[in-house]
Amino acid sequence: MDELRKKAGELLEASAVKVIIGYENGSDGKTRALFAEKPEETARLVFDSRCVMNLATYVTKKEVRNKGRIGLVATLPVMRAVIQLASEHQVDDAGLLVIGITPESKMVEFKDLAEVEAFVHRYQIEIDSKQKEMLDKLEKMTPSERWDFWIRELTPCFKCYACRAACPMCYCHRCTVDFNQPQWVPVPSHELGNIEWHIMRAIHLAGRCVDCDACYNACPLAIPLNLLTKRMLLDAKEHLGGYQPSIKADHLMSTYKPDDKDNFII
Amino acid sequence: MSKIGVFVCHCGENISATVDCAKVAETAGKYDGVTFSVDYKYMCSDPGQTLIKNAIAEKGLTGVVVAACSPRMHEPTFRKACAEAGLNPYMCEMANLREHCSWVHEKGDPTTDKAIDLVRVLVEKVKYNQSLNAIKVPVTKTALVIGGGIAGIQASLDIANTGHKVILIEKDPSIGGHMSQLSETFPTLDCSQCILTPRMVEVAQHPNITLYTYAELESLEGFIGNFKAKIRRKSKSLDEKLCTGCGLCTTKCPSKKIPSEFNEGLGMRTAIYVPFPQAVPNKPVIDRKNCTYYTKGKCRICEKVCPTGAIRFDQEDQIVEVEVGAIVLATGFTIKQTDFFPEYGYGKHPDIITGLQFERLASASGPTLGEIRRPSDGKVPQTIVFLSCAGSRDEAKGIPYCSKICCMYIAKHAMLYQHKVHGGKSYVFYMDIRAGGKMYEEFVRRAIEDDGVNYVRGRVSRIYEKNGKLIVKGADTLLGAMPVEIEADMVVLATAGVANEGAEELAQKLHVSYDPYHFFAEAHPKLKPVETNTAGIFLAGACQAPRDIPESVSMASGAAVKVAGLFSQDELTREPLIAVVNRQPAPVYSSCVGCFLCVSACPYQAIEKEEIKDRSGAVIKRVAKVNPGLCQGCGTCVAFCRTKSIDIQGYTHEQMYSEVMALLNEY
Repeated sequence: MDELRKKAGELLEASAVKVIIGYENGSDGKTRALFAEKPEETARLVFDSRCVMNLATYVTKKEVRNKGRIGLVATLPVMRAVIQLASEHQVDDAGLLVIGITPESKMVEFKDLAEVEAFVHRYQIEIDSKQKEMLDKLEKMTPSERWDFWIRELTPCFKCYACRAACPMCYCHRCTVDFNQPQWVPVPSHELGNIEWHIMRAIHLAGRCVDCDACYNACPLAIPLNLLTKRMLLDAKEHLGGYQPSIKADHLMSTYKPDDKDNFII
Repeated sequence: MSKIGVFVCHCGENISATVDCAKVAETAGKYDGVTFSVDYKYMCSDPGQTLIKNAIAEKGLTGVVVAACSPRMHEPTFRKACAEAGLNPYMCEMANLREHCSWVHEKGDPTTDKAIDLVRVLVEKVKYNQSLNAIKVPVTKTALVIGGGIAGIQASLDIANTGHKVILIEKDPSIGGHMSQLSETFPTLDCSQCILTPRMVEVAQHPNITLYTYAELESLEGFIGNFKAKIRRKSKSLDEKLCTGCGLCTTKCPSKKIPSEFNEGLGMRTAIYVPFPQAVPNKPVIDRKNCTYYTKGKCRICEKVCPTGAIRFDQEDQIVEVEVGAIVLATGFTIKQTDFFPEYGYGKHPDIITGLQFERLASASGPTLGEIRRPSDGKVPQTIVFLSCAGSRDEAKGIPYCSKICCMYIAKHAMLYQHKVHGGKSYVFYMDIRAGGKMYEEFVRRAIEDDGVNYVRGRVSRIYEKNGKLIVKGADTLLGAMPVEIEADMVVLATAGVANEGAEELAQKLHVSYDPYHFFAEAHPKLKPVETNTAGIFLAGACQAPRDIPESVSMASGAAVKVAGLFSQDELTREPLIAVVNRQPAPVYSSCVGCFLCVSACPYQAIEKEEIKDRSGAVIKRVAKVNPGLCQGCGTCVAFCRTKSIDIQGYTHEQMYSEVMALLNEY
């Protein structure tokens, strides 16, 4: 922890970055994002098991970018998000420096995003066993049972868009739901509007979702919407050679190989 | 406010027999924005078109919906009529009341209701149509011909003789293809090489033809008139400018036991080799897989003996980039080998050979100098059996089609055998004799009646060896399936003609379609036999289906005319139905966020990156930009774009949405 504070302070002191994004203690025993612009503010940095929010979501925000180069305290899922964002040309070395935290909670320094990528590639994205169990259960249902499950889960959604705000991949200036000429996805939070929003959100994350669960953690109704993206990750693993964010590689969904399988199409 | 005219066509009785056209016109006339609606017997006729033109002039129409047949045929007709009346042609849409309604439904109210729906959908779409202008693109007047067999040679010469440049690429060290391997040709029995080699030389000497042998297509980008091809010139390990083709290296090379591809494995060649004496170009290549230097690191004898110092061991593959306007695919075919047939000994017996191997035995340039001798012991076979339909017309073997050339070449083989081995006995097992073609049937009769070849109608179930003889067990179905057993010295299998290995990958590289057997697919089986579905790419010869020489040659000439026709224009007109990335007022500039995932999704490499700059030149935003010359309007990027920042002109989000809503909303 001290190591992290020290490093962050040094970076600001040396003007290597203009703002450090990390975690600090918030209300109610929870942590929240800290935007430290002065070296002394880095004393507020904390890191522990409560820090699950994906801070990569801030690096694409104009308000933050305008401050100058960002130093980002990044856990493994956050680093994955950063690499995916780099592959989508949203971040680069000039605008972002990653201060990594390993799964063993050790601080690790990176010179550039290429090093971050190399670190990320040491780990595979694994769906945890509890979620896998739930996915298997869904898989065993008949299509109509599964449909009922999702109607039941998604009907209460009141479209606060916390999932969108928490997701580092939802950085578009104009979301499809905000596209109103024509309004393809209905705005009201009725059954149809909710289903359309959640299916669209999941599909837009196909081949991009880094499985950080920020959407699920942000949802005030605890809707298991991350099951949709996890299912796609499993499909990608089973049929398309798996997904791993990568700066240079082509996008999983937009590349075609003659030996691609299409047996997952119902 | 739109002023739309609706024109409902009866198509004689094609539509009016099942659809109440007057009712469709009457209903459409009541829609918001429709100011004129009429039905007429033949809308595509002159009076029909005049009806549309007059309505545009008199009513000041801003949009036109023609409810008639499929737009494939007559959309250009009606758009042209609109343009002549002063309306932008892209303000005209067609509702397909024929193929989509009248032809597929019975007469009745539901059919008329569907016709009304189809019209309403287009009325709502036309309200959002915008004036568009056709795109003009230049034509690169150079053709790329892939494959240097007889089809590729013919196509190259024909195109070159119209005054246009041709680049001919051939994957083997010499052009000539299968035809150069043949001994004589049916039905005239003239020598294959004698008629082919002058053509090969003509290719090499033609000022308009650039020949790349030992070369393959690496990749292709672009579209009709404007293709960019990358050609991989495989290293020949030779400086061709220095090589005089003296052949000293090939005589001194110590690796002499390599089965010759040209002789179908019946003869041997060296590691540095010219496939056959009449090869074009007549300069050797080093087969690196079999060369002692490349495999063991020592030798370099060819380098030592070469009088001009032309050997280049460190030469690397070269990628040549060329711009071409049209492509002729003439990659030919291959045949199944004898190991494909367990019932005929898995290819293990040396005296059971393929038709192409027999060609080499019968050829004066072959391993036996034209004498028919068995590969096993060199003896002249006294009894020979030919099997047609080996693999072909056999669903169990996965080849249900007829390979077409076998009936004729087997008759030729048997005839050649009888001419060369006096007193020999020849048998042909056949299912049917397919001799459709000029002088073909006469040729087969000559084999049977004049040369005494024994034709047995029936199939052979098994071939096995016994006491040095090959026992051929079959049945004669014309004699009540009587079992037939022949003790043969040699058996020739007319194995099925199949697509080349790698044909599928090549088709995918070129974006042309192919059939289940990986033969390339023509655009229309009757009316567009040399075109593919990809504009600017044409087919010649056996890469489309098994073909004999006259057919391959005529197909090649056909493809050449198509290319010449294309090259007779300086500019091509393209439909402006292409993708466009939106622009918005500052400070947004465009809803595109520049993730560029569309770039890899685009199958035509038509999307580029563009920087939006302010007056001082500072970059404000990086966004995607569609190159209108390359875009084919497929819409993949539109589906892929999360922010819906891309629209296809003529099929915009607003147009598609209005169509869907017109169907969903009750009227």
